[in-house]
Amino acid sequence: MNEVILQHYLGVGAVMFIIGLIGFMTRRNLIVMFLCTELMFQGCAINLIAFGRFHGNLGGQVFTIMVLVIAAAEASLALGLVVLLYRHKNTLDANAWRELKG
Amino acid sequence: MALLQFGSLGLIATAPVTLPGGGFLPVLGEVLGPGLILVLCIVAGIGTFMLLPSRREGATRKIGGAVLLLTLLVLGATLFRYAAGASVTDGVSPYFWIFAAIALICAVRVITHPRPVYSALYFVLTVFATSGLFILLAAEFMAAALVLIYAGAILVTYVFVIMLAQQSQTANSRPLVGLADYDAVSREPILACIAGFMLMGMLLFVVFDRGQQLTAVPEASAPGARGLGESLFGPNLVSTETAGVILTLAMVGAITIARRRIPSAATSAGALHDTQAEPTAVDDNPHSIPVYGTENPRQKAYPET
Repeated sequence: MNEVILQHYLGVGAVMFIIGLIGFMTRRNLIVMFLCTELMFQGCAINLIAFGRFHGNLGGQVFTIMVLVIAAAEASLALGLVVLLYRHKNTLDANAWRELKG
Repeated sequence: MALLQFGSLGLIATAPVTLPGGGFLPVLGEVLGPGLILVLCIVAGIGTFMLLPSRREGATRKIGGAVLLLTLLVLGATLFRYAAGASVTDGVSPYFWIFAAIALICAVRVITHPRPVYSALYFVLTVFATSGLFILLAAEFMAAALVLIYAGAILVTYVFVIMLAQQSQTANSRPLVGLADYDAVSREPILACIAGFMLMGMLLFVVFDRGQQLTAVPEASAPGARGLGESLFGPNLVSTETAGVILTLAMVGAITIARRRIPSAATSAGALHDTQAEPTAVDDNPHSIPVYGTENPRQKAYPET
């Protein structure tokens, strides 16, 4: 692979981000909503690595490692919260917590 | 300025791209016309709306899936024509198309599959395809790390929580039967699809129509895993240490959150039951066997009572 067409990778990252965004807005299961945030992280990671390859330096990969760290931290905290919320109301429905919207 | 050009180019710029038959070599700047992007995004939005889980007929969702797949094919074919005829020497590797198609189709299935376990499994496929894309971008270490962390660690946690918290579903061949209501019905699918695909149209427009000066690679030197390690523990040492601190904090926070004792909605506050209760006389009715430790009727031994 001598040449990289950067835009194709950026396009894939953008589409994956948007798919995750739509999923986050439409799904009502708390666990699936957090899966969709992971999809958005993937889209960002593709963008970062493509830019890093495009510029020929390692900044993109270092940033992607930070994204992975944040994703792991977010997954552990979010799933702990999901279990907590499930024990409160015995449901995973995000609409069960509508009173939080203030 | 950009908006004006977006309007004035309109459908005109799509004409050279969608011309049937070869011979036309797309000049830079007309990869994807704004009109084509607009049409594709609208059609994809309609397809996604039809594919999102709801209590509709199964045929509607199949049609939606077909529409979405067709849109993806058109987009891929247009980009492929551009890549084949572009000024760069050898275009994009065929593996790119394979991995990108797997990643995007599985991502769509993640958000449209009504059962969360299948969503998680499709997400694993997305992770694998994304790591394939990373390998194409000469980031082998990141590909391995992605598979290890996402497919190995995070997804196992997700599946574990799904099994822990998911209510029991009866095995049924008919679709969407036995599913909880919050899994089977989406929330505001029309608004979400409109907003999402408008944003996607703008993003694709910027990427493909305004990013033309980005096509050339200045230098093809791909730093490997060794360079990444030297970069992580050399100039980026502070951020690496910060990442470690963040992970430790997240672990402590998760343990703290998960250890809190919650009175269930069914039980009164603080009334924890003694699991060592007095044994009662056994009679022949199995439904009379008491189950201690829970007030949740779904966790009882005989849920049909």
